Amino acid sequence: MGRLIARFSMRHRWWVFGVTLAIVVATGLLIPRLTIDTDPENMLPADQPDRVEHNRIQERFDLHDMIVVGVVNEQHPEGIFNPQSLSALYQLSESIEDIEGVIEQDMLSLATIDNVEQVSPGTISFDWMMSEPPSTQAEADSIRRAIQDLPMFYGTLVAETDQAAGIFVPIESKDESHRIATEIQGIIDELDSNDDFHITGQPVAQDTFGVEMFQQMAISAPLAGLLIFLLMLYFFRSLPLVVAPMLLAMATVITAMGLLIGMGYTVHIMSSMIPIFLMPIAVVDSIHVLSSFADRCRAGDDKQLVMAEVIQSLYKPLIFTSLTTSVGFASLMLTPIPPVQIFGAFVAIGVLFAIVLSLTFLPAFVAALPQKTVDGMVSRVRTHEESGKGADCRLCRFMSATGRFATRHATPLLVTFAGLVVVAVYGINQIYINDNPTRWFKEDHRIRVADRVLNEHFAGTYEAYIVLEQTRVGDLMATLNERAEPVLDQAAEDGHAIRKDWSRILEQSRSGNTENEVGATLDELMFALEDQSFNAPRDQAQYWDELLSITERIRSEAQYFQKPEALRYMDNMQTWLEERDHVGKSSSLADLVQTINRELVSGEPQDYRIPDRPSGVAQTILSYQSSHRPEDLWHFVSEDYEEASIWLQLPSGDNRAMQSVVDAVEQYKDNHPLPEGVDMTWGGSTYINLVWQGEMVEGMRAALLSASVFVLAMMILLFRSFVFGVLAVLPLTLTIALIYGVMGLIGKPYDMPVAVLSSLSLGLSVDFAIHFIQRLRAEAAETGNWRQAIDAVFEEPARAITRNAIVISLGFLPLLAAPLVPYITVGIFLASIMALSAVVTLLMLPAILRAIPSLFFGREIARATRQE
Amino acid sequence: MKNRVLRTLVIGLGLAATAFAPAASAQDRPSTMEIVKRANQASFYAGDDGRTEARMRIVGSSGREQVRQFTMLRRDGDQGRQQYLVVFSRPADVRGTVFLVEKNPGADDNRWLYLPGLDLVRRIAPGDKRTSFVGSHVYYEDVSGRDIQADEHELIETTDEHYVVRSTPKDPDSVEFAYFDTRIDRDTFLPMESEYVNADGKIYRRMKIEEVKEIDGYPTGVRMRMEDVANGGHTLVQFRYNAYDLGIPESVFSERSLRNPPREWLQRPER
Repeated sequence: MGRLIARFSMRHRWWVFGVTLAIVVATGLLIPRLTIDTDPENMLPADQPDRVEHNRIQERFDLHDMIVVGVVNEQHPEGIFNPQSLSALYQLSESIEDIEGVIEQDMLSLATIDNVEQVSPGTISFDWMMSEPPSTQAEADSIRRAIQDLPMFYGTLVAETDQAAGIFVPIESKDESHRIATEIQGIIDELDSNDDFHITGQPVAQDTFGVEMFQQMAISAPLAGLLIFLLMLYFFRSLPLVVAPMLLAMATVITAMGLLIGMGYTVHIMSSMIPIFLMPIAVVDSIHVLSSFADRCRAGDDKQLVMAEVIQSLYKPLIFTSLTTSVGFASLMLTPIPPVQIFGAFVAIGVLFAIVLSLTFLPAFVAALPQKTVDGMVSRVRTHEESGKGADCRLCRFMSATGRFATRHATPLLVTFAGLVVVAVYGINQIYINDNPTRWFKEDHRIRVADRVLNEHFAGTYEAYIVLEQTRVGDLMATLNERAEPVLDQAAEDGHAIRKDWSRILEQSRSGNTENEVGATLDELMFALEDQSFNAPRDQAQYWDELLSITERIRSEAQYFQKPEALRYMDNMQTWLEERDHVGKSSSLADLVQTINRELVSGEPQDYRIPDRPSGVAQTILSYQSSHRPEDLWHFVSEDYEEASIWLQLPSGDNRAMQSVVDAVEQYKDNHPLPEGVDMTWGGSTYINLVWQGEMVEGMRAALLSASVFVLAMMILLFRSFVFGVLAVLPLTLTIALIYGVMGLIGKPYDMPVAVLSSLSLGLSVDFAIHFIQRLRAEAAETGNWRQAIDAVFEEPARAITRNAIVISLGFLPLLAAPLVPYITVGIFLASIMALSAVVTLLMLPAILRAIPSLFFGREIARATRQE
Repeated sequence: MKNRVLRTLVIGLGLAATAFAPAASAQDRPSTMEIVKRANQASFYAGDDGRTEARMRIVGSSGREQVRQFTMLRRDGDQGRQQYLVVFSRPADVRGTVFLVEKNPGADDNRWLYLPGLDLVRRIAPGDKRTSFVGSHVYYEDVSGRDIQADEHELIETTDEHYVVRSTPKDPDSVEFAYFDTRIDRDTFLPMESEYVNADGKIYRRMKIEEVKEIDGYPTGVRMRMEDVANGGHTLVQFRYNAYDLGIPESVFSERSLRNPPREWLQRPER
């Protein structure tokens, strides 16, 4: 079969080249359509309930993505509150307002907010906090006093250290954040200021990540390719020959990426890593083929014959290793994370394409080479290997020694492996799950620096929202009808047929409003009833007035978050969260109402409280609305007062931090149940990150388990032997356990890249065992002696394994220089998997075989071997 | 140029029919100052006093709606001074909230506020009058009229129907606009439309009178729309049950009325 494929490909090599080229060109032409997607929100499907709710919350409360600009002055004794710093802040804020794409009316800074205060007993003032930059220290001081009095802003717009101030810049579209941030930086560069400026915020981080990710795709992957190329050149000593796997790898990468882009998928951070994953996998197969070819070919041999034999002996393990690898990746499609699914699917496709090329293109390529080139390569490899020592080469001698070592010290080795498993299990139990898109940048990246500095000073730049909703609103219209009924009956009894008019008015008020817009419907109805009362015959007016007051009462009752008890519940929850340091700060309608109430009543701290009656709350809010920014109210409450939000500021974007807040809120709810008829939901990007992280861990567990079962089944099928099937997966089990164990021991959190790599490691690390066992069994069948079979495996097959491990491990070192942490993680991981699984395979398999040979080879061979 | 402006908002409405000849022809065109004065008169000083019931529908930039309903009484004094009493009836939770304003052209206005839910009377500090009026797109200053002396006025166009006057603030730092253009009806002198232009030359805010009725002999804007052009959103105000020259006594506009609104003057006139 393998022979057949190889012969066919070599005979029709120009066809093979032509078809390969056509596929590569066709898919390659699709690549320019590439669009980048760095939005972590897309880690969840668009219809995922938490994401839907998050978007609904953003829309309902007019919440936009924010760029955060921080101004820090740690030198001046008054911190940021000096005329020069505040003037710079003022100028900066004014200039940012003019940038295209900035939502001016929602911008928050000292220069854009109102100061509501009781300026003298009995007199309240609504005025800009900083209508012009202060010119004296005294003016700066008074701004400080004013802001310190406003809990809504102190800790948010000005750090409680007084050394930093923030400008919150809402933007229309996340995709614009890099441009806007760049323009802001341009303004900052022109400012006459000695302060430190930092630009951060989730959208900036994302957009910057996208830009740098693109650079990485253009730098890291080719660099890795180059290194792999040089290493192969070292082993195979033939430029033309080594060009083949490189071409093959490039063809695979281009085809997979072209297909992905051509099918309309965006290139997410995950998919940007496809080339990096595909390159080694594609090259691995080629190395097995070339390694075997170089070892077998003698000067003067017919290269086509040799190649046909090579493919014949390798096609099975090659196909199976490719299948297991693609199963490992395809299992990612079980995760509920679309970018991970796409990544898994297209790597799987790429792997399958690579194996097709390895079995066809590679032989065709070798066949196309002049015999001279092949002879040259063969003799150079020989000379090189022989230049080591005597008759044997250094690698050959080392590998044979390794094989002998493993069989001779089987028991201590197995004990060591068992010990390692114990350590690994301990380490795995230390693993904690955590991710934070900000940490995808290295420690010294300006975004990390900004993040660190600003969160040191401020209550927190990461946001989450708790939304409370009164859910019994739907009943209101029913209640209305119920209460209207007696009035209509009474009117009929008194001889006034107003029911028809009532139905008509009700219907008119409903039209134009959705079922959920009960508040707006009731408002319409009140207008109409009032008109009706005035225009209807005089003796009917009383009924209409009655209906009007019924409607009015229902309208008021529906406004749940104008009720003092509703605000008090939120306030208590916030206090509880803040006191226990779960959140840096929280803000809600309760804070707003209490602040305005204080300024209306006396301006003294004892009046920082929620009014006793709903009307008091309503009038406090009405007073607040008489400011320059009445629409800010709607960030905290819906216009029908049926929903309210609590804005939480977290000093850390770690999923763990978010999880502890969620747990704390749950605990609070356990002790203080939500008021009846009130539901609670979560929103905010920090929360969304937590959700997809959770889904990913769950999904990865499923993917890893199903892939393991599948790989085991395939092994049993391949070897048609249960024990060999199990034997094949033992090295990979230890490899994965060790890698994750070490991860747990050194405290590296289980994050997105790590999660994805678990499936990859499964598919890759079984490869060596397949090659090992396949060859071992062939040799054992031939010689009838398992010791000789092992010795034979430690010749050419072991060398191929070792060369592979070295090439891939070293080939990925350039990734360690990447500025983006996920790339570094991938580099380290890939290198460790290849190196470790090679070592484990080569030591563990002979040791196990040596310990219980009869289990694997049957009594006969075991006895025969013993006797020899 | 020393002219006057008319102000956008037309709450007080009414127009001094006595103050001008109803049809100014192109030949005897009044001076810019006269136009502005007359417009101011028409929109804020109709009659000696007035009463109106306003119904406001506030539509925010993202489409959220609120309503406000209030009755407004007005009485003119000497030298352009005026008193306003604004009593809220809806939403129900703010019923009885009262604003009392003493307008002093050329000086600070006196403003008081009564909040029945907190039982508080508070003076509102003289300061920026370009803040939202109870959450609408209308500013306080639009309600009682911007001082015509605060701007320079220039007649930039005369059409068949309108005088177009451009008003440029004398103290640009005190306001958010660079200038505003007003189209004044040549017959009624009602300012039918004002467009506010920012420093970038963009129109960001627009007032429009959508319906005029003659009431007690005074052309009166009875439907007005204030639009936030920059961010979206608008406020529609209907003025209903208007009446002029009622003989409202000065005592109605005292601090006493804050806690005890003058029922007889607030009541809707009989049909």
